[in-house]
Amino acid sequence: MSVDAAELNEKLHRKDIRDRWFLSAPALILIGVASVGPLLIVLLYSFLAPGNYGDVKWAFSTDGWFNVFFSRDIFDDTVSLADAHFTIFWRSIRLALATTVLCLIFGFPTAYFIATRAPQNRSIWLFLITIPFWTNMLIRAFAIQEVIRSEGLINTILIKLGIIQAPIQMLFTDFAILLGMTYVHLPLMVLPLYASLEKLDFRLIEAAYDLYASRFNVLMKVIVPLVKPGIIAGSILVFIPALSSYVIPRVLGGGKNLMIGNLIELQFGQGRNWPLGAALSVTLVVIVLFAMLYYVRNAGKNGGSAHG
Amino acid sequence: MDQSSATASHGGAIGMHGIKKWFGNFQAVNDVSLEIRSNEFFTLLGPSGCGKTTLLRMIAGFEMPSEGSIRLDGAEIAHLLPNQRPVNTVFQNYALFPHLTVSDNIGFGLKMLGKPKAEIDAVVAEMLKLVHLEARGNNLVTQLSGGQQQRVALARALAPRPKVLLLDEPLSALDLKLRKSMQIELKRLQAETGITFVFVTHDQEEALTMSDRIAVMSQGQVRQVGAPWEIYDRPAERFVADFIGETNFLDVDVVDVGADRARVRLPSGAEIPATFPAGTQPSGKVTIVIRPEHARATASTAVTPLSGTIHDIVYLGTDTHLHVRLADGSSFMIRLQNARSGPCGYSVGEEVGIEISDDVAQILRD
Ligand SMILES: Nc1ncnc2c1ncn2[C@@H]1O[C@H](COP(=O)(O)OP(=O)(O)OP(=O)(O)O)[C@@H](O)[C@H]1O
Ligand SMILES: [Mg+2]
Repeated sequence: MSVDAAELNEKLHRKDIRDRWFLSAPALILIGVASVGPLLIVLLYSFLAPGNYGDVKWAFSTDGWFNVFFSRDIFDDTVSLADAHFTIFWRSIRLALATTVLCLIFGFPTAYFIATRAPQNRSIWLFLITIPFWTNMLIRAFAIQEVIRSEGLINTILIKLGIIQAPIQMLFTDFAILLGMTYVHLPLMVLPLYASLEKLDFRLIEAAYDLYASRFNVLMKVIVPLVKPGIIAGSILVFIPALSSYVIPRVLGGGKNLMIGNLIELQFGQGRNWPLGAALSVTLVVIVLFAMLYYVRNAGKNGGSAHG
Repeated sequence: MDQSSATASHGGAIGMHGIKKWFGNFQAVNDVSLEIRSNEFFTLLGPSGCGKTTLLRMIAGFEMPSEGSIRLDGAEIAHLLPNQRPVNTVFQNYALFPHLTVSDNIGFGLKMLGKPKAEIDAVVAEMLKLVHLEARGNNLVTQLSGGQQQRVALARALAPRPKVLLLDEPLSALDLKLRKSMQIELKRLQAETGITFVFVTHDQEEALTMSDRIAVMSQGQVRQVGAPWEIYDRPAERFVADFIGETNFLDVDVVDVGADRARVRLPSGAEIPATFPAGTQPSGKVTIVIRPEHARATASTAVTPLSGTIHDIVYLGTDTHLHVRLADGSSFMIRLQNARSGPCGYSVGEEVGIEISDDVAQILRD
């Protein structure tokens, strides 16, 4: 009797799981077709030989991967580490991290401001935050160029006011890239932060003040731990696209200040080295993956029942 | 900030003078002056929206009075921020930090004051014991029941040893039984710690059982301040008499006024003594109150000051209420204690006399 019951239970359980698989099928198919599939193709290409005019030859080769990490001198054939690639990777990671931090610094007060408005006014502010999304990123990048170039708005005004004599070089610098990336990614930080802050019970802040907390401690010991999910989500949403940015460094960084995205594009375009481009792409994916794993694990550890 | 730890045995005295508070053009508190004594269990009692929370928040520092001064042990504190006042609050919804354990919640205030870890740990252990949660120190507060959370909130507010503890309806979310036991617990904690408690409630029974003194509020004003028996037996005005307990109102004429007693003539023509609020000089037509338990029904109607016909009998377990229709058509309620089991012995339609105990009638200010 009891065996029957257990069997029945197991069957029901199995059916339950089948149902769930069925429900998630559309998402799984989409992920398979649009994400895993292409990624496998890219992985495959990274192990092929480059064709003469782009494309690939169907022959196994590790040259693509070799060229990610090493460079061979064209004259004496000596092998050395591919410094240029490492520099660009490291630059990209630094710029993406800086963008994330800047978005957090600017996004947090913004989200806090919106979350503390009267409920009926919040949607207006959120709406304003999303306005930049209405225009193509390329156009926005050129708009920033207009503002910061040597004959642009800022330099003209500063010179007219007599504050500076010669224009400041802002365009085609890391500053320009950071400015542009922070600007285009800011909404991606503000929205999840707002979602967390809006749920925050502001009476907890009063309770903290009541218990002798300074403003700084209210922020660090109460608000930040409670909106941590929003901070994590926002940081991920900003860091990933920032790391693989392509348009902004191209338009605002000029040709000199490359990021990974530009390097990859170069291999598929002028460089005519698709396997190297594919290998660089896979490397980027791996970097993102490890960065996320590391970040989420650490953020999770320090959160929750934090004593510090 | 350091004064909070200075005195453990002595609670602070609060003086409020001419406090007014406007929200836009709505006046939530209208000219309140109160003297709350050191070590006192002081209760603000009043209906919803009368301004109790607003008054409490001004003592805590969350709101600034629009006008008036607030003093703590004689020193002006109205301009100080909440984290500069040796005053802690037990919030109505507890407002416990959900990301911290019970111990970390209780130790939060001391940590913010920069106390050494050893001292914090010692106080936290002591507090956990005080509120009977020794085994729960490492739980997250979200894992506790409502009553346990309530006790954590209490311990958290007590841990920094404030001079004054503010409690905003801390028991309203608990069920009746738990509420009764927490009432006793709160009284005990107040006596043990010697901290001045300012307690907000709209439950008159809670106020009467727990308080040393009560301030009855209505529409942003304090209507009367006094010991529970004064509030109950000597209400100064109709609002207070009506809000606290059940009562009979009678329209009478003042015959004679002495030093602290007046003689009043009832509609029946009988004359009885009545007390009146200090500082008033009753004359002419006034209203007196007589509590239902201060009157008795008698079979003979000849010598009693009032008489009438029973039109309703309500059995309440401990008591029975007789509703008697008087000659002028008004209704008078008598509370009989059910000293014996069985029916009360009266029946609807019966003629009864109403005897009134000595010194129980109180003349209201108009
Ligand atoms: N921040 C505010 N802005 C505008 N009006 C307010 C504000 N806070 C309180 N009020 C108003 O002031 C009045 C008194 O509010 P308060 O919260 O002090 O009442 P209460 O006596 O505590 O009532 P309850 O028993 O319901 O808690 C209410 O009419 C309320 O609407
Ligand atoms: Mg209130």
